[in-house]
Amino acid sequence: MQNTRVKLLASDFLTLTPKLSSYSSSSDPTLFFRKGKQVSRIETLGVVVSRERKGDRYLKFFIDDGTGCISCILWLNHLNSTYFARRNPSDVRLIADMAQDYATSIQLGVLARVRGCVTCFRGVLQITVDDVFLERDPNAEILHWLDCVKLARKFYDVPTVRPPLCRPAQYFNNNNSNKRTFENLR
Amino acid sequence: MASSEIKPGLLVSLQDLHPNSPFLKHGASLRVIGKLQEYSVETARAVIVDGSINLKVDTQHLRDLSFRIGSIYQFIGELHIKPDDETILQARVGRNVDGMDLNLYYQSLQLLRQFQDEQANKQN
Repeated sequence: MQNTRVKLLASDFLTLTPKLSSYSSSSDPTLFFRKGKQVSRIETLGVVVSRERKGDRYLKFFIDDGTGCISCILWLNHLNSTYFARRNPSDVRLIADMAQDYATSIQLGVLARVRGCVTCFRGVLQITVDDVFLERDPNAEILHWLDCVKLARKFYDVPTVRPPLCRPAQYFNNNNSNKRTFENLR
Repeated sequence: MASSEIKPGLLVSLQDLHPNSPFLKHGASLRVIGKLQEYSVETARAVIVDGSINLKVDTQHLRDLSFRIGSIYQFIGELHIKPDDETILQARVGRNVDGMDLNLYYQSLQLLRQFQDEQANKQN
């Protein structure tokens, strides 16, 4: 779950358990867990019910999916940020232009699919936005609910079973099927 | 964790808003869907209907939405119950949802509520 974009309902997202990382200097938690499993990236879909733009720095908006409201932050300061200063300027320009396009598309009442990283600011869980996609099909939200329910029941709620690190030596010594496979390869 | 600042519009059908409904409270934030039956440009008041139930919606804050009688609309807003028992939804957000499969919507709503109850019971 840590390396995939987890589709969560807002009610589920808002109950993630934050933990402080020993590797981070931030006073806000940087690790987030759902029922013991770490979640870093998520995908949500809902109606934009609020937007507040702070000049060229960021756009803050809220997504209401009917089960809760998720705060989202879309950074727009790529061209002035020291974080991006080390990267290729043409790449940074592209990223900045895309972020501006996303910001323009986020208007009150649109149905938006938002993907990003789970972060926390002043004790409030939020999404730091990677990308935004506007849904034209009004059924998209229903399908998103069903996806979230199915994924939670079939995968996210199921305890992880770790594969054994090594198989018993006997398995390798007496495994005839392996021998057959090698013979077939010859 | 601190909660976010904006209340979500609880998903309800117009059938859920019967006189004894727990959703029928002054100030409740709701999300409703219905077919546009009436719309007045002067008052910006709309009436949406689902089956035999209708609901008045105040759309004065919705600037960019065009209204077409017979189309299906979704509104998110706060319920106002006036002293004369008139119930009106003060819409914050609205959109046209023509093409939405309403049967699928209401069936999925039941599944969603069931799932949320399950999750709440597991946490308790």
